[in-house]
Formats: sequence, C-alpha cells, structure tokens
Amino acid sequence: MTDLDTSPVEALPKRSVFGRLYHGETRVDFMGRKWWGIGVSAALILVTIVSLLTQGLNLGLDFKGGVQWEVPSAQLTEAQARDVLTANGINAADAKIVTVSASGVARLRIQSAEQTAEVRQKVISDLAKAAKVDAKEISSNSVTSSWGSEITKKAVRALVVFVILVALFISWRFEWAMALSAIAAMLHDVLISVGIYSILQLEVTPATVIAFLTILGFSLYDTIVVFDKVDENTARFASARLPYDDVINVSMNQVLMRSLNTSLAAILPVLSLLVVGAGLLGAISLREFALALFVGLITGSYSSIFIASPLLAGLKGRTPKYRSLRAPRAVGVDLERLVLGGLPAARRESQRIRATAKGGEASAASAVNQPAHVVLTHPPRPRKKQRR
Amino acid sequence: MRRKLQYSLAGILVLAIGLLTLNVAAGYKPALGLDLRGGISVTLRPVQGQQYDKTSLDLAVERIRERVDSFGVGEPEILRQDDAIVVNLPGVNDQQQALDLVNVTGKVFLRPVKACASAPTSTPASTVPTTGTTTPGTGTTATDATTAPTTAGTGAVVTPVTGSPGPSRRVDTTPPTIPGATTSAAVSTTAPSDVSSTAAASTDGSTTTSVSDGSTTTTGLPFSDPKTTQVLPTRDGGVCQVGPANATGDASPSAETITGEVFSRDSAQARIIGGGWGVTVDLKSGSSGEGKWNQLAKECYNGSAVCPSHQLAIELDGQIQSAPTVNAPSFTGSVQITGSFTKAEAAKLAQVMNSGALPISLQAEAVQNVSATLGKDSLRAALIAGAIGIALVLAFMFFYYRRLAIVVVVGLCVSGALIYSITSLISRFYNGVLSLAGVAGLIVSIGVTIDSYVVFFERLKDEIRAGRSLRNSAQRGFKAAFHTILVADAVSLIGAAVLWYLSVGAVRGFAFYLGLSTLIDVFVAYFFTRPAVLLLARSKFMAGRKIMGMEISVDGNQPLGATS
Repeated sequence: MTDLDTSPVEALPKRSVFGRLYHGETRVDFMGRKWWGIGVSAALILVTIVSLLTQGLNLGLDFKGGVQWEVPSAQLTEAQARDVLTANGINAADAKIVTVSASGVARLRIQSAEQTAEVRQKVISDLAKAAKVDAKEISSNSVTSSWGSEITKKAVRALVVFVILVALFISWRFEWAMALSAIAAMLHDVLISVGIYSILQLEVTPATVIAFLTILGFSLYDTIVVFDKVDENTARFASARLPYDDVINVSMNQVLMRSLNTSLAAILPVLSLLVVGAGLLGAISLREFALALFVGLITGSYSSIFIASPLLAGLKGRTPKYRSLRAPRAVGVDLERLVLGGLPAARRESQRIRATAKGGEASAASAVNQPAHVVLTHPPRPRKKQRR
Repeated sequence: MRRKLQYSLAGILVLAIGLLTLNVAAGYKPALGLDLRGGISVTLRPVQGQQYDKTSLDLAVERIRERVDSFGVGEPEILRQDDAIVVNLPGVNDQQQALDLVNVTGKVFLRPVKACASAPTSTPASTVPTTGTTTPGTGTTATDATTAPTTAGTGAVVTPVTGSPGPSRRVDTTPPTIPGATTSAAVSTTAPSDVSSTAAASTDGSTTTSVSDGSTTTTGLPFSDPKTTQVLPTRDGGVCQVGPANATGDASPSAETITGEVFSRDSAQARIIGGGWGVTVDLKSGSSGEGKWNQLAKECYNGSAVCPSHQLAIELDGQIQSAPTVNAPSFTGSVQITGSFTKAEAAKLAQVMNSGALPISLQAEAVQNVSATLGKDSLRAALIAGAIGIALVLAFMFFYYRRLAIVVVVGLCVSGALIYSITSLISRFYNGVLSLAGVAGLIVSIGVTIDSYVVFFERLKDEIRAGRSLRNSAQRGFKAAFHTILVADAVSLIGAAVLWYLSVGAVRGFAFYLGLSTLIDVFVAYFFTRPAVLLLARSKFMAGRKIMGMEISVDGNQPLGATS
C-alpha cells in the first residue's frame, strides 16, 4: 500500500511543462508567489510615474492642436519643406518634420501649429509643387487646440462612467471585492501601457486611445473569466471550509490554460497587424493601434493572474468568514487534487480509504478520476431507458 | 432534443448564408470610411460661449446635408455626436470647398422680395419652358412636378392675427385652394428677364454668380449675403431675387432683420388657420421687434421700390423657406402665415422660424484630409494582416483542439458572414461607414470570439477529466461556459455602449463594431457552437478518438486520463 501523501509524484505520468499544461494538470502555487507579481508591478508603476512626471506623454496632433501634412515623396527634402513653410509665413523652426518610411514609399510628415484654412490649402499646393506630386496625394489633418482638449475631456469622462458601471455590474453579479480587484487590475494595465508610451516617447494618437480602451475591456474580460471560476469554486468548497487562498489557487490553475490560450489567440492577430500590416506593408495608422494593443494584451493577461487574484485574496481573506480559516496552503499534489476536482482534506480521508481499499491507486490524478466501477463494490445500477 | 439542436444549427447556417447571398445579390457592400478611401472630414462645434439648443444643432445638420447634397458629393456622412457635428465628405480633396460646404449660420433673415420665378428660369431651354405663359391653375401643377416636396414657396400670405381678423382672412381664402395663383402668375410674366438681368447687374460678390452662370441647381445652394441683393432658390425649385435684410438701409449688422430679433422666442407654431395649416408667430414689442417688422411690412404692403412684389422672404442659409405676400400694412402682437401648407410643411416652417431665435455659429475644430492612396494602402494592409492573423489563430486552434477546431472554423465563417451582412445593411440604410478604427475593432474581436470557444472547450476538457462521457461533458460544459461568456460579454457591451454614447469620431466607430461583434459572439455561441458541439459529441466522428489528448469513450466506462 502506497502512501498518497509521501510519494505521489512518481506515480504521475512523466510530462514536460507543456505536457502538464496541455492536460490541465498544473499545480502552480500562484498565491505563494504573489509577491513576485506585486513586486514587478510595483516597480513598473514606479518607473511609469517617474517617467510621466519627468517627460510626460508625447501627445499627438489631435490632442494639442495644430496642422499636419503628409507628402508621399522621396524627392522632397526637409529643407525644401521648411522653405515652403517659411514662404507661407509659418515659423519653420517650430515645425516638426520626420520621414515616415514604409515599404518603398517614403512619407514626409510635417507638423506645425494651428493655421488658417487658406494657409493650409496654400501649403498643400506648394508642397505638391515642391514634391512634384499631385495635390490630391497629400494628406492633411488640422485640429484646433480647444477641440483637442475636448477630446481628452470626453475620453476621461467615458472612462469614469465606464469604471463606475463596470464596478456596479461586477458587484451585482459577483461581489464588491471582485469589482474592486478587477478595476484595480484594469487601471494597472492602463497605467503600465501609458507608461510604456511615456518611457519610449511614442506618439499618442486617437488610435492609441482606442487601443487603451480596448485594453480596459480585454483586461476586464480576462479577469472576469478567472473570477467566474473563483465564484463557482467558492460555492463548491463552501462546506469544506477551504481557505480563500486555496480557492484562488485552484481556480487559477483551472483557468490557466484558458488564459494562455485566449491571450495567444488575441495576440496573434494583433501581432500580425503589427508585423505584417504596419511593418511590411507600412500602414502607419495600423502601427499606432497595434503597438498599444500588443502591450495591453500582455499586461492584461499578466494582471488577471498576478494582480487581480492576489488582491481579491487579500480583500476576501480578511472577511470574517475566511479569517478563521488560516490553514497552510495546499501545495504540490494536494493542490493538484483540488484542481482536478477532488475534495479538500476533510473529505479526502474517506475517499482515500475507499480508493486504496480497492487497489492502491497512487496518482492524485487517477485517484480523483476513479470511474464509478473502480470505487464501487457492486456493479452500477443499469441506466433507465429514457427517451432522449 | 436532437431535433431541436439540428433545427438551431440549420437555422443559423441558413440565416448566415441567406443574409450573405442577399447582400451580395443586391450589391450591398460595407461603405468605407474616409480613412480607408480618401476624402475630407470636418468636425464642427458651436463657437464657445453662445447659447444654443439641440434643435438648432439638428437643424444645422439638416442644412449641411441639404447643402452637401445640392453639390452632389457622393455618400456624404453627416452626424451629430453630442454637441459636435461630424461631416465626412469622401472623394472631396479641396479643403476650402469642404469648409464652404459646411458653412451654415442658422440665421433666419426676413428679406423683401423683388421678384420671383417659380422654376429656374435663367436657362431658357431647360426642363420647364412653360412657366412664363401658363395659366394659374397649371402653374401650380408645374411647381408640383418639379419634384419639390414642398409647394409652400411663394403662395403663402401673411396676415395680422389681432388686427381685423374677418376681412384679412377673407383675403387669404382665395390663395389657399389655388396656391400661388395671383402672385406667381403675376411675377412669372416679368421674372425671367428681370431676375437674370438684375442678378447680373447686382453681382458684387462671387456668391451670386451661380445664377447668372445659368447653372443654379448643379452648383448647389448659394451663400446667404444679407447685405446685398441676391437671387436665391426657394424650397420648391424656383428662384427669387431678394433685397438686403436690412430694411431700413442701415448697413450695420444690428439693422438686419432676423427672426430671432423680431419674433418672440419659440413662439412660432403650426396650427390650423381657416381650414388649412399655417404658422402663427408672436412679435416682440418695441422698436426692435414690432417696429422693425412693421417697417418691413409696410414697404411690402405698399409695394415700394424696396419690396415691389409685396412678398417677404424667410431665408435660411441661402434658401428661401417661404415668401408670403404681406396683406396688411401694420401688425400688432402676432403674425400668421397661411397658404397651401401641409401639416409637416407648416411645422417645418415654424421650426425654422424658431431656430432663428438661437442662431448657431459653428467652428471647424478639426479638418482631416486623407489622400485616396493612403486610404487604400491602409485598407489593404489591414485586410492582409487580418487574414494572416486569422490563419495563425486557426492553425493554433487545430494544433490544440484537433478536430474540434472545425467548429471554430465554421463558427468564424458564420460570425464573419453575419458581421459583413449587418455592416452592409447598416451602410445601405443607416448611412454608417466602416472606418479604420472599425476594422481594428473587428480584428480585435477575433480574439474575443475565439475566447468563447476556448472557454467552452477548456470546460469540456474539465468535464471529461472528471470522468464524464463526451456527450454529457458537452452538455454540462456548455452550460457553465455560456454563463462565463455571458458575464464577460456583458462587460464588453457596457464598455462599447459607454464609448458609443460618450465619445466622438473614430472611437465611436470602434465602439460600434466592438459592440456588434460582441452581440454576434453571444448569438453564435448559443445558436451555432452549442448545437454543433453537442451533435458532434453524439456522433461517431468524435467517438473513441483522441480529443485534446484524451481518450474518449462514448459511454465513459473506460478509465480516462493520460494516454498521449
């Protein structure tokens, strides 16, 4: 007779990390490593805040106002462009001129302060002349600074309303602690994404804002899938008086593969947008969008595991119901048994007796997965003939 | 049960394929936004610090639409989003032209009419050659036939309400039944030569040249210039030559007669007057209201040089809404306009007159001009990237879920067909367009859609691992997974709705497509994925196969677990 608790690991089929993931037999002690995640995030947030305070964000035209022209020409030089601006009474020293190269076609992007409609049109025709292209080929974008601040105001207002509504919804559907943790994780994601834009001084455009908003949605979506599982497991282990940390550990192991799969499925199209669309085909507007999304999706998956869940455990673990349950966390094979659908310690005993009485099963996986005929001493009652 | 599943599966497949064929057959396609095909987008906002209401904004949108349509811009998109107006003009390249198109003031002027012609007369060889000599009766049918929805143009009559109701109303009773009878017949004999010659003589700005060019209807509505004598179109397709809005001859803007100064605010009302629909409006007391109006009315009643036709035009942004004949030299308290109005026409006129009380001056806050090639490049890149992205995801699904991935492939096709069809229908009937942000939203939604499958399949795996048969697992797995999908999608929907209501421009397009694809995700999960997987689980196709690395037996009697 083998003791389940001393040498169960040998009895498990030998599998690589991937194999275990694939078969959903993970037993990662997430809660035991929660300080890693929190530490990394705290460091990132610190860097973000420092960067935001020192260099701020590189806000695009749409937020601060101004004019931008885009000329598809390799011939037009910066000096020529500056001459055109000066000829139209624009202070060329203030203008920002960059070449945006993309698959064969170089585009000269010229930005200046706000201009009147006449000047804008004149610059277009002059630029067309200088670059020897049709005026129709020149794209332009002009925004007044008041409109820029209006857009920002609207985005902030939308964000606040969104957060409040989502908090209410999660509180109603699950509980307030989950709402709080989910929103904290979401803000964490946005903060870090914004931080990366600030650190690398990437330009923030309306497309970037859209991407940030998507990140909010995705981060929440991910977190909710985890919490839904936690909710279900809370009910399942209610009578077993399992510490909350364990419930979360179990839930996270159960949804780990889903989280990884989903993130991969979401990241693949974005990566394609980034590499193929923006990189190879040179659609600049796609790059602005895809980059923010890419960053956001990664932080979103990360935070649902490493931020939202530990936070929830911290909040819930302090409630009267769970405070008394300060048992050592189930780790290793105990955890795996719970993950695979077994029962916690109190009931485990009786089950082990039954299982070992029959034939000395050793693996946690197989102990849990005993089909009925192995455990039962008599043949199962034949199924009733039912019309299906 | 089985029958039900089959019906559901067949139903959604028929729906998706049916909608798609319908759209393809009818030639409906998603209309592409500016950033995908080039053009100019102008965002307008009321100049800060002025008083305005939503109605005047709506009216401004309507004015802009009329202007843009009159210039023949293809598939324009004009939307009011909160207090901003977004005008998208595909295919337009000239910024100045675009800005001119959207330049509406919302000021309603009262201008004395010099002469009117009931149809475009400066092109003699054009469609309505008979106007000059027609009898009154056919004259009206001629104006009806010029496709104008309103015949209110020149036939209306202005009478004081409080003055001497009896006689004055009797004066109107002839026109309402045969509108425009006396007035238009009288005018039309003189108008053709008169209008074109005086128009040519009085052109001091480029705005009035459209008529003397002889191409009134094709170049669109002229601009209102209340300081000069102008030839302006009426709503029913005719033209009138109107004098300056400043009746007194005073050149300062304050002397211009705009309805907002003369009439009490929101006092114009459509009501039945003497058997037909008309509009009543109250005059403001004092010299700036009643005094100003009476000054103008007297000129018109007397038919003096300022207002020889006895008509007073109500003009909004270069278009004469109505030009009633003045039937009394002086008015006290209120004014009524009668004529052959329908209820809708009267209501419209009342709305116009009320909107003059709060004219709105709009400012172009953002002007974006995308060249057609840049747009095409972006679209091509987005499509190629999207296709590669989907291919990668599907390859991953096949690698991970083996045969079950077939459900994902067909499911994505169904979602794709539904989204394409709905987008096309929306483009066709609601003037919506698919912008780059929308495309991005759709590509992102691939991730969300795939997630529904992953949640379900992982659930299925859990159930199988717990020792249930495939058939049983599919049923229980879906129940649990659908619960999760509903909650998660609800959050996405809340996000999409909030963004849609509270944002402007590109973000809105994104929110719309995110919301649409989320709804379709729930729909497809329940009506396609559920029956498809449940039926597959019962079929021989999955029986005894390695599914997701596990040996499955149909009745679940063999030990399960690790075999690969």
